[in-house]
Amino acid sequence: MNHLRTLCLLALFSFAVGALAQGAAKPAATPAAKPAIGDIIDREVSIIEREFVSAAEAMPDDKYSFTPSTLNISGSEYKGVRTFAEEVKHVAATNYELWGPITGDKSPLPADSPNDNGPASLKSKAEIVKYLKDSFALGHKAAKSITAETAVEMVASPFGQGQISKLFLATFPVAHAFDHYGQMVEYLRMNGIIPPASRSNQ
Amino acid sequence: MKYLRTLCLLAVLSFAVSAFTQGGAKPAAPAASPAPQAQQSPQPAPTIASVVDRQVSASEKQIVEAAEAMPEDKYNFSPESLNIQGSDYKGVRTFALEVKHIATANYAFWTGLTGDKMPESIKGPNGPDELKTKAEIVKFLKDSYALGHKAAATLTAENVVEMVPFRQNKAPRLYLATFAVTHANDHYGQMVEYLRMNGIVPPASAGNR
Repeated sequence: MNHLRTLCLLALFSFAVGALAQGAAKPAATPAAKPAIGDIIDREVSIIEREFVSAAEAMPDDKYSFTPSTLNISGSEYKGVRTFAEEVKHVAATNYELWGPITGDKSPLPADSPNDNGPASLKSKAEIVKYLKDSFALGHKAAKSITAETAVEMVASPFGQGQISKLFLATFPVAHAFDHYGQMVEYLRMNGIIPPASRSNQ
Repeated sequence: MKYLRTLCLLAVLSFAVSAFTQGGAKPAAPAASPAPQAQQSPQPAPTIASVVDRQVSASEKQIVEAAEAMPEDKYNFSPESLNIQGSDYKGVRTFALEVKHIATANYAFWTGLTGDKMPESIKGPNGPDELKTKAEIVKFLKDSYALGHKAAATLTAENVVEMVPFRQNKAPRLYLATFAVTHANDHYGQMVEYLRMNGIVPPASAGNR
């Protein structure tokens, strides 16, 4: 059952949190030591990385251009939606755009990106998944750089004018990626593929 | 184009951010005719609580709008009913269960911060069985976000890394506060697809065509 996927996810979180506590506390007598803020955010990056990359890898290469509009579902409205490949590339591109200002790394988006779907030159599944994985590597770097002192530090907003807090830039890509992950879950199921994170729940 | 939906979301967030900025320390902004009240009551610099609360607000807006966009007679829709050739939708949630599940998880995460008890009517991950109508379910959802704002307001620079009880373990306050939004987005992405399967463009995406 799909709803159990969340339970497993929550169990994973509990485990991750337990690992945080274990890692931080040397003597067994020390209960629930406080993790660093950067570590907390980094765990969230790890969770989305694990789910998202596994979903991206689950779709066969020849289905990367799939979009629900090709199914012609009676009464549906799928005009102009992203392909599976564009979902993955969009998330990776956004990761670079939001985490880059924290680390100071420049987005690798080349001039051949007509929109926010990442480089048009990336076509194959292997290329796209690598682009995705590299974006999460930047996420780990960004998360770990956050401290209690710098969390509300303002940096130039990648959205345009103004400034934005590092805490927002560090955490929002995770939430953003989960939105698109939810869509990819549906794309996978439309193709008879149970998302890897849900497989043990069947 | 659907990709613009995200831009809209980001625009909402940018708006929120610009509110921060206005309040933050940019008095030199070249406003042609500065609003007197803006001069009199500058916005405070962001805090961890305010940053998290903006994320709760963005999630609330997007998900409540999506929940309201589905007609009541479609609340029990599941993609399984479409019998898409070659698909695998066995046992997935209905639209109503997606909404109830988000609200339930919100309560689970955020009560850990506020100290409130989980509503006794919640018996499992999909919320109270007795909630059937769209109005009841949307109210349950909205109430969960009210708790989210309360939870966000409890955060301080000092307490965000404190470990508090969560399920059978402990979790940092910051994690409980932010991961509720993240979790909701996972299911929001699925709701988007359910809406489109029924010919409904998600409100956050409307106007992007």
